[in-house]
Amino acid sequence: MSTPCCASPHCVECAIGPSMLASDLSNLSSNAKSVIAAGADELHLDVMDGHFVPNITWGAPVIKCLRKSVGEDAYFDCHMMVSSPSQWVKDIADAGGSRYCFHLEAALTDSNINSSVVELCKLIRSCGMEVGVALKPGTDVSAVRDFVSLVDMVLVMTVEPGFGGQKFMPNMMPKVVHLRDTFPNLNIQVDGGLSPSTIDVAAKAGANSIVAGSAVFKAADKEEVILGLRNTVERLGMGRKEGELTKKVKTRGAEVGVLVAGLMFFAGKYM
Amino acid sequence: MKLIIATIVVTVSTVAGFHHAFVPTAATSSTTSTSLRALYGEPRPVQIIPSVLPADFGKLGADCAALEAAGCDRIQFDVMDGNFVPNLTFGPDTIKWCRGYTGLPFETQLMVSEKCTDAMLPQFTECTKGPNGEPGVVIVHVEACTHLHRALSNIRAQGGSPSVALNPHTPAEMIENVLDLVDHVLVMTVNPGFGGQAYIPTMTEKIRKIRKWVVDRNLDIDIEVDGGIKATKETIGACAEAGANCFIAGSGLFAYEDMAQGVKELTAMAKEGQGLKA
Repeated sequence: MSTPCCASPHCVECAIGPSMLASDLSNLSSNAKSVIAAGADELHLDVMDGHFVPNITWGAPVIKCLRKSVGEDAYFDCHMMVSSPSQWVKDIADAGGSRYCFHLEAALTDSNINSSVVELCKLIRSCGMEVGVALKPGTDVSAVRDFVSLVDMVLVMTVEPGFGGQKFMPNMMPKVVHLRDTFPNLNIQVDGGLSPSTIDVAAKAGANSIVAGSAVFKAADKEEVILGLRNTVERLGMGRKEGELTKKVKTRGAEVGVLVAGLMFFAGKYM
Repeated sequence: MKLIIATIVVTVSTVAGFHHAFVPTAATSSTTSTSLRALYGEPRPVQIIPSVLPADFGKLGADCAALEAAGCDRIQFDVMDGNFVPNLTFGPDTIKWCRGYTGLPFETQLMVSEKCTDAMLPQFTECTKGPNGEPGVVIVHVEACTHLHRALSNIRAQGGSPSVALNPHTPAEMIENVLDLVDHVLVMTVNPGFGGQAYIPTMTEKIRKIRKWVVDRNLDIDIEVDGGIKATKETIGACAEAGANCFIAGSGLFAYEDMAQGVKELTAMAKEGQGLKA
């Protein structure tokens, strides 16, 4: 039974996407590889142009360098906080973006000719990327309803976009609940102030895709934080029992250790 | 007969001598003060300043350290906001993180709109500072500043070293009235936005014009050039001879396997342009 803050359990797989904005920006490749090794499903890349939000972060040239260093398999979730979303689609696709998540507010005021939300989604897909649409805190969830069938993901911002390290806004959860109840199979992402202390609320509301910045990059054990966030979504959002939760990712060393132990056992037994 | 021949020889030699004195030299660099195209005024120290645009943005810090090891004088960060120029690069936080990897002075070229310049100038001035808070070079574009005098004054007040840049089409006269406020003037020798472009030769005269103002008014100003600068007479040589002494090199430096060698070659060619021995 849903309440304003709790959605019914869903079956949409959890995705954890650490935000690279919280890492050492002069050492992006190394930081990206370390969170992927720690279990991150996606890399969340905040593209800010100083106009849609009062900050500039990076654009396609940086993403291109990152793609070259982390390889083809990593999933790049490009969160486009730019005033003209249609302007960068091809550049981001060429640079290696996997998902192009534009802000609905920017798309509706994009000054480019013929850039309706429908056309924008078509353009993104034609360039081989998945489509996401994001809502700022002040935008009502009803504004996105007509576009959900065109996108792969909806991002509900839980802070005012522009800077990392801000405080999570729990009053955004009714938006998440409404989306989860209306579209049970939708990929719903939350971004802003997510951490072990705020994840319960987001998971109960039905968010399955979690962007966490400082909570991951400032953690002593990134793998533990990522797994903790994942398990909370599985437990509180998907209704899984303890025994069904994802376990710690086995390290390559541990796998080799098990193999060697097994070989030694059989060698000792039969020789 | 011998007298007539001698007279003819002397006359021809004299005429040839006069001819040599009055025909303008075609060379773009000259070491004599009697040449019509020599450097105006005393040469200022040559500085080779790489742009990070061709660097690996996945490890920008390490690349900055490598540039310091190669003997560069300063590092230029090309900030582009996708509005003033059709490219989006990076912002103040990236520059701030790079500070941890090198002690070299920084310069930040703000190829951003007026809105961005006004809103973010303090942040850019701050992140461009040296390891001990020394003023960093902050370059605003004349085309992006309705109130350029105020913007340059603000950079100084906030602890930065003010510089103003001009796009290729912008006449030198646009900055004539703010020369007293700046430590540098940046003459763009390509249209800003992307690396790897070719030097625009018509910019050489603009450099020469600004240099004359600087020398005649006895101002302590470096003239910087950015765009298509390579270790050739036609680019760095021509700019040095016209009066530039700071040279931004992007692809022109990163093309070298050994960047220290690149810095040496660029410096030598620039000094030759100034009429100095390398």
